[in-house]
Amino acid sequence: MDILIVGMGKLGYRLAETLVASEHNVTVVDSDEEALVKAVNRLDVLTVTGNGAQLQLLEEIGVGKKDLVIAVTSSDETNVLICVTAKKLGCPRVAARVRNPDYAGQIDFLKRELAIDFITNPELDTANEVARYLLRGYNSHLESFAGGRVGLFEVPAAALPEVIGKTLAEVDVFRDLLVGALYRDGEVIIPSGETRLESGDTLYLIGRRESVTALIRSHADLGQRHVTKKVMILGGGKAGFYLANRLLTAGLSVKIIEQDEERCGYLASHLPGALVICGDATDLDLLQDENLSDMDALVSFTGHDEENLMLALLGKQHGVAKVVAKVSRSNFVPIIEELGIDRAVSPGLISAGELVRFIQGGQVASLSLMFGGQAEAMELVVPPTAPIIGKALSEAGIPSGVLIGSVVRQGQVFIPKGDFIIRGQDRVIAFCLHKQLPALSKLFDPKRRGIGHELWFGRKDTGKPSAD
Amino acid sequence: MNSGLVARILGNLLLIEGAVLAVPLGISLFLGERRAAIGFLVSMGVTGLIGLYLSNVPAKSPRLKAREGICIVTIGWTIVSFFAAVPFLLSGAVPSFVDAFFEAVSGLTTTGASVLSRIEDLPKGILFWRSLLHWLGGMGILVLTLAILPTLGVVGFQVFRAESPGPTPDKFTPRLAATSKILYVIYGVLTALIVLAVRTAGVSWFDSILLAFGSVGTGGFAPFSDSVMGLGANTPLVLVLASSMLLAGVNFSLYYELIRGRWKQALANSELRWYLAIMGLSVLAVSLNLYGRVYGSIGETLKHAWFQVSSVMTTTGYVTADFDLWPPFSKGILFLLMFVGASAGSTSGSVKVVRLMVGAKVVRGEISRVLHPQAARPVIVSGRVMPPEVVRNVISFLLLYFAVFAVGSLMISLDGLDLFSSMSAVAATLGNVGVGFGGVGPTAGFAGLGLGSKLILSFLMLLGRLELFPVLAVLSPRFWKE
Repeated sequence: MDILIVGMGKLGYRLAETLVASEHNVTVVDSDEEALVKAVNRLDVLTVTGNGAQLQLLEEIGVGKKDLVIAVTSSDETNVLICVTAKKLGCPRVAARVRNPDYAGQIDFLKRELAIDFITNPELDTANEVARYLLRGYNSHLESFAGGRVGLFEVPAAALPEVIGKTLAEVDVFRDLLVGALYRDGEVIIPSGETRLESGDTLYLIGRRESVTALIRSHADLGQRHVTKKVMILGGGKAGFYLANRLLTAGLSVKIIEQDEERCGYLASHLPGALVICGDATDLDLLQDENLSDMDALVSFTGHDEENLMLALLGKQHGVAKVVAKVSRSNFVPIIEELGIDRAVSPGLISAGELVRFIQGGQVASLSLMFGGQAEAMELVVPPTAPIIGKALSEAGIPSGVLIGSVVRQGQVFIPKGDFIIRGQDRVIAFCLHKQLPALSKLFDPKRRGIGHELWFGRKDTGKPSAD
Repeated sequence: MNSGLVARILGNLLLIEGAVLAVPLGISLFLGERRAAIGFLVSMGVTGLIGLYLSNVPAKSPRLKAREGICIVTIGWTIVSFFAAVPFLLSGAVPSFVDAFFEAVSGLTTTGASVLSRIEDLPKGILFWRSLLHWLGGMGILVLTLAILPTLGVVGFQVFRAESPGPTPDKFTPRLAATSKILYVIYGVLTALIVLAVRTAGVSWFDSILLAFGSVGTGGFAPFSDSVMGLGANTPLVLVLASSMLLAGVNFSLYYELIRGRWKQALANSELRWYLAIMGLSVLAVSLNLYGRVYGSIGETLKHAWFQVSSVMTTTGYVTADFDLWPPFSKGILFLLMFVGASAGSTSGSVKVVRLMVGAKVVRGEISRVLHPQAARPVIVSGRVMPPEVVRNVISFLLLYFAVFAVGSLMISLDGLDLFSSMSAVAATLGNVGVGFGGVGPTAGFAGLGLGSKLILSFLMLLGRLELFPVLAVLSPRFWKE
């Protein structure tokens, strides 16, 4: 697809990186020359300097011939203007980032009346992600696929002492579960039968929901239920506001610490159930006065990565069961989770995941970027002409770094072995290292047309009918 | 440094060179030139085997940094020239290796300076190979690699930037591989049109192809000992070649704009306007100087003046007249044009019009700042403000270019040539023109120079083609530390 991204901030760059890796043709626009130089030096993209909301510039780029425009500049209003203009110029699909809570109530209106196909709100998505983590019963549940029939679970190898030191082929506790990915020393490994498990590993198991529940029941360590009742949120910015709102609705007790007095007034008036404390979140005495050690969870959402990191570590030291830190530089997510912080969340990464899922359209039903974007777990619907169809998996040319975790066919879940044959319209849940994305899309994309076609039209045609 | 990846890309480059060698091999086999055919066969084997070995070196990571990019470009051009020289030597066409290397570098860098005499007696395969080098080097051997092997696309921008002529490379599609392909398609179509036009002017097919390679790549090798002087009376041919060189000196991304129907944007390009204006004024000045002194008729005057101006300015180096016998004013203009060159993004060498434009605008800004110290004077080219880094790069390039020219001239003057001949030899090789004045003039050639001079000039040709900085960066001690 030909995709135009306006705004080369952290989210724009992350998106461009992911889309280029999936063999899309990406053009990026920004008024900041430096951000573009950085992009063109590291990514295979075309850069255009200028104001992306300017009609003349959009016409010059040929926005009407693009398949998709994504507006992720720092201003919500500009993003909406870009999308509306692009749509009027004939671009079939447009997406925008809109993050001001004042507009949260009119997202549906914007989509319907201004014809913006997709709106992402990184802070809201982040808040939802954290809320999901805080509210879930089992510590280990991560993601559901295929309408809840397939679950993805995160299990420390230490909790399953019988598997350590064995290769995956020798292990039998998993039965009809599959180890889709391993996390070892800050690196993601997509395993094979010869991969040997070590005690420090974190395993990502995929399989039928019932099988997972059975495994958890049989291991006391995994079955631990953490019920979160009291949450302290440090920083009452957009993400903090959304999170508090969500947790209050779920009936939790929420304490927000925010420095800015005016903001405190806003929070107190808009979140009547929450206790808003006006003070410096980095003031240890204040945190102790507010019973930090009594909390079930601490969420550090201030504007500085460094502060969030230190405050989360502080919370861990005071015995808080779940600590979450917001990190805007997504590359640091894996390192930070290494330090003992339960969850590091990056709004850019979460939003990029949402947008990629939207872009892949019908094919990718669900996708989660794991471990700071090193790998992805995605649910795909196999198109009827995909090259992978009709061959046994062991002969389909699946490269290392790609693993088919489960296949759902007519409501039935299969954990595929080497002799499994995929059919059209199957739902496949695949694990894939970021760098192997092009290889994965080659397996699942309908047949491509040749170079001649590309030269003639100046773009690659994947043979897909354009969505919508 | 990621030497594994560097080796792999260099290996791919040699594989492509080995494959291309099949074309002259076929010609020599077809015409029964035994010694040349054996030479090509051996070179093909050696180049292919070394390429195959290098292209299988495992790479640590698929990422390429700036330093590896310039390393690939500099070393790549050197080794491709080295292997391109082997057939010249093995076929017996060129007796010494230094001469063969000079000829290969001259071909690949589209200089067109030759050490050969009695060219009509050489095997056709060798003549074809010489001109084919022009064609390959014109658009760039690494751009060709990028076009054929798109897997290098992600890492290729550093390489593309170091190889493509001009201060800011034009990438006009999101994918670098697509840009490279489009460039080669435009280049191929232009070449085919020129072959047809030259053929129509009454030249044999073989010579038409060689002349087209020489002009579209702005090279200058002709299949005749006296360049194209022997065909000077064939007016249609002279006009076809002069316009071909002019077209090859235009930024190729403008042709892409034309294909997309964006005539206005293409014609509004200020470098194009300056390029045509400089050429037009030079033709006028030379014609006024020549009319009545050298040529009697206005038609003859304009024809020869335009051809020589077009040839020298686009750094091709074809001649229809021995301009060494022209009056000093005309010689002076041609000499100065060697320092102008044609457009960025074309196949021509030398400084390029856009750099002189930027230089002129900086100077004008400084003059106005004497009167208004606070005046804001950004450098604007084609309606866009040039970023200060680019302006700085251009000014350094201009300074460096003249410094290299000065030092080179002194070194060549040690060979015993007179000073103007030495200076023109350096200007002609550093600027990839291929023809100078006096001792290296249109009828003299470069055969008479000493071994040392030939090596220095070979180095200058590579330095000029890769636009100084990449080569000098690789040669700096700091590059190899770490």
